[in-house]
Parts: sequence; C-alpha cells; structure tokens
Amino acid sequence: MTTLVQEIEERLAGAKVDSVWQSVGVVREIGDGVARVEGLREVMLNEMLDLGHGVTGIALSLEESEVGVIILGDHTAVEEGGEVRGTGRLLQVPVGKGLLGRVVNTLGQPLDGKGPIASDTSYPVEKIAPGIMRRKPISQPVQTGIMAIDAMIPIGRGQRELIIGDRSTGKTTICVDAIISQARLNSAAEAAGDTNYRPLYCIYVAVGQKQSTIAQIISVLEEAGAMPYTIVLAAPAADSATSQYLAPFSGAAMGEWFMDHGMDALIVYDDLSKHAVAYRQVSLVLKRPSGREAYPGDVFYLHSRLLERAARVGEKCGNGSLTALPIIETQGGDVSAYIPTNVISITDGQIYLETDLFYQGTRPAISVGLSVSRVGSAAQSKAMKQVAGQLKGELAQFRELAAFAQFGSELDAATQGKIDRGKRIVELFNQPQHRPMRVELQVALLWAVQNGYLDKVPVERIKEFQARFTEYVTASRADLLANIGAQATLNDPIVAELKAALDQFLTMWA
Amino acid sequence: MTTARQAARDAARLFRLSMVNGLPDVGRVRSIVSDLLTSGRRGRLAVAAAFVRLLKRDFAGRMAEVDSAAPLDAETRADIEAGLAHRYKRAIATTFVVDPSLIGGIRIAAGSDVYDDSIKARLFALETAA
Repeated sequence: MTTLVQEIEERLAGAKVDSVWQSVGVVREIGDGVARVEGLREVMLNEMLDLGHGVTGIALSLEESEVGVIILGDHTAVEEGGEVRGTGRLLQVPVGKGLLGRVVNTLGQPLDGKGPIASDTSYPVEKIAPGIMRRKPISQPVQTGIMAIDAMIPIGRGQRELIIGDRSTGKTTICVDAIISQARLNSAAEAAGDTNYRPLYCIYVAVGQKQSTIAQIISVLEEAGAMPYTIVLAAPAADSATSQYLAPFSGAAMGEWFMDHGMDALIVYDDLSKHAVAYRQVSLVLKRPSGREAYPGDVFYLHSRLLERAARVGEKCGNGSLTALPIIETQGGDVSAYIPTNVISITDGQIYLETDLFYQGTRPAISVGLSVSRVGSAAQSKAMKQVAGQLKGELAQFRELAAFAQFGSELDAATQGKIDRGKRIVELFNQPQHRPMRVELQVALLWAVQNGYLDKVPVERIKEFQARFTEYVTASRADLLANIGAQATLNDPIVAELKAALDQFLTMWA
Repeated sequence: MTTARQAARDAARLFRLSMVNGLPDVGRVRSIVSDLLTSGRRGRLAVAAAFVRLLKRDFAGRMAEVDSAAPLDAETRADIEAGLAHRYKRAIATTFVVDPSLIGGIRIAAGSDVYDDSIKARLFALETAA
C-alpha cells in the first residue's frame, strides 16, 4: 500500500507543470472558426491555446486588449465566456519516415485508418527558411519522367518550380506523374542495391481540393506503388479555412525533416490559389485590413516564406534538399492576376499549361514559349543537354513557321524541313498520363529525332515508332540504356551503339 | 455610421479622461456615462459598452481571487496580499473564497494570470498527460 502511495506521489510530482503560473483568457466572440479572446497576457504569436473540450487554437493576431485565435478542429463546442489557456508551445506536427505511406490531416493526425503515426519527433509548423550560408547551388536533377519537362524545363533538387494553368489543363497530373516517377526510381535503386542513388521522398499537400479528387489521387498513387515513398497531407474543401491555411506549412515541416537529415524530398502544393483564398477568409474574419482583390497585405509574405523553405543545403548541414512544386490555377489564362504574379516572382521558373494546346491534343499541354526553368539546367545531365540544347529554339521556330505556313504559300525545302521536324518533336513529347519515362530512353529518342532518324517516319506513326522502339531497346539493348545512364554523356562509342541500334530497329520495323 | 473600431477608440479616450492618479474616478465615470447616454449621438450604446469593458478590465487587473480548500489564517492572507501587491506594483483587492473541490492547495486568479497549485489542477494535469 505504501509503495502504491509512493508511486502515485511520484507520478503527481512528475505531472506537476513546470510553473504553476498560467495565462488565462476569456472567449469574448466566436464565429467562423475564429475567436476573439480577452486577457491571455504574455501569449506568444502562433502559440497553441487550449480552449477546453479538447479544442486547440492558435494565437494569430495579438492586439492591445484582445487576441485573435484561429480554431483547429470542431469549434462548435467553444462557448462565449469559456476559459482559454496558453500552452507555451508553438504549433507542431509529427515528422519522420513513419509518415511515409500515410494520409494525414493538417495536424499530422492519421486519416487513413491505419493506426497511429510512428513518430517521436515533432517540427514547428512555422519555421524560418535556411539562410544563405546553409545553402548550396542546385546540382542534382529531379527526373519527372515527363519528356517535355526533363528535356526543356529541367527541375533540380531544391528548386521551386511553379505549375500554372487554367482548370483541367493537367497541372495535378504533372505532379502526380513526377511522384510516380520518383517512386519507380527509388524502388529500382533499392532493388539494384544502388547506394549512390539518393531517393527522393514525396509529399502531396492537397489544399481545398474535393475529397473525391484526393481519394482518386491516392488510389492512383497506390496502384502505381508510389505510396511507400509518399506522404499525403489532406486539407480538403470541407475542412475549416484555418486548417487549409496551415496545411502547406505542416507539409513543409515534414519535408524539412528529410532535408535536415541529409535526404531529398519533393513537395507538391495543390494548390496555392485556394490556399490564398483560405488565408483571405481567415484574415477577413480577423478584421485585418484588405488590399487588392480583398487579399490581406501580407499575402505575398505568406507564399514567400512558405516557398523559401524549399532549399538545397550544403554538406555541412546534411546535404539534403527540399524541392517545391506549387500549383496555381488561373482564371481564363490570366497570369497577371494578383496571386499568380506573386508566386511567379517567388519561384525559380514556371511550367505554363494552355487550354488551347490541351484541346488540340498536346498532353501535357506545356506552352514552351512561356515556360522557363531558371536554375534547373545546371542539374541536367550532359547527355540530355547534348540532345535537348537546341530543342526550345527549334520548337519556337516551328510554331512561328507553322503559323506562317497556314496561309498555304509555297515553302522552300529548308523551311518545310523545319516544320516537319517540329511536328515530330511535338508528337514525341505527347505522353499519356501516369506513365513516366526513363531519362535514358528520353535521351535515345531525342537523339534519334535530332539526327533525322524520324524524318522518314510519317507523323501519324511517330507514337507507334516510339512504342516499338521502347520495347526493342529495353528488351534487347538494355546495356545501351544502362551505358547512357552510367556515363551521363553521349561519347563516341555510345553514339555508335545508338546508331547501330536505330539502324537495326528501322530495318526490322519498316 | 459608427464602426466598432471607432467606438473602441472613443471609449479608450473616455476611459483615459475618467482616470485620476492612475485610478478611475467614480464621479467622472458616472458623469461620462450619463452624458454619453443623453448625448443623442449615434452609436453611443456601442461606445458605452466598450467603455464598460475597459472599466471591467481595469477592475479585473486590480482584483484577485484566492481560492483555497480550507480557510486560510490571517497571517497567510496577509502574506498573499503583500506578495500580490509586490508583484503587480499596486494595491490588489483580494477576496478569499473557500472551495473544497480543490482538495488541497490554493489557486490565485489575478486578471489573466492564474497561479494554480491545487491538488485538483495537478490531478487534471495528470489526466491530460496520460
């Protein structure tokens, strides 16, 4: 009996809060997931608050006599006059490899019914981005498996590449394809026991998306075997505006853990337009002054501090990276609206998707002229640079000449040649969704088109050529692809081998 | 139309006018409220409500409630009052309440500061930690 008393006493001593002092406030106003609380002296900005009934809030605006609190979760239990206590802790989410393969909400709580998250580490949701001294230039590629992107708009590890376009132009598809491509590369490297390959883990943050869309994306990722390398963070349209506002920051915290531990991660924010709308709602309810398009004045800082957290850090700091693929949905192709211009100026380039191209059958509907990657070319392999160096220029020339040729005027042989070549490149870049392509194969195909091997193939049969050549080269010339991958450059022996392979294939195929 | 922000601003100005030597003066407060209510200006009720809130907050900052499971002796009471006056650098009107539900220990609430060293609070911390 005495031991029991002792044990209870010890537990009581252990449970004693560090200080008996607590800052307590009273709810004065509550509505729309936002409460105004009187009192709460010495509360910190972004401190977690306990509103009773198991409800958590965050102190988002500190005023002279009041605190504006955003409520996470069910706010219907909170009543006017209720007590609010400061916890002395900033908002944190669980991080680590235990989250891979899981679907979680903004607070990192599981939504997939697979039991609790195996994680003993937490990271603050709001964190200052790595400083200049910690950073390193981008030098390693993110292979998206989408030929048009890997060849013309390459993305490097640690880059922020915006994906922008109207609704249903394939923005999410590009990101999902990139995630699937990483999963394939990761599992291939694992199977081959390649220790030099740095796996790229993926985080998909869904903000304000339809539940059905998120469920579909999860099933696509599961079918493609990508879930073991992916974290899905869902803040669907049915969630409160506050959790939609915090979701990208929670995702960034999960990504930063990989970066800090010398690993590479890719984070997709789908999408930041809805994120800005959620933040606008929170700000308006908090009665903050509104500016252009009723967005609050700090909406630029909202996205800049989020995207600055994507970085490539140096060897001294673990040599990890966090690559960000934010998505922005435009209205009627207007990239000069407030949020699109903000995010364009923060990111290191953009992939612009056009509705017209999409309906003309170009998939992915990437507008080559308007898409750029400001830093990714430094990460492109030499082999890819050799075959893709001139591609952007050639395609731009093709678009111009094709528009001119519509008038039916007579064309000289050189111009006609350029148009024919352009048509074949465009056809080659057409790629069905969820089928990423190995970069070695992309190099081989681009080399073939650049060296005139496809000039004799009718445009309608380009896809057939591509499919058969892929089968041929993966089945009987696997060493050639492995060589391109290993050498990462097209030297003379590889070029000779490529020539031989193409000649042999063309005699068989024709 | 008087906005809530404007009402709060006006109330803060009236509150400053009601102070004498750092304390709200009863006579001034009475005359401010009666003048305000008979002034006929729009939004006077909102201003008055904000003014009362400021007064309440000021009073709350000068008052403390000490809850204890058992009645405290005069010496402990004096110690607590002196301690509060020292901490807040002003006189604090302290009321002592016996609350057996605390089981043991005391709980002091002064404005938005709560010093809770009762058995009840420790048991609650134990319950939430488990």
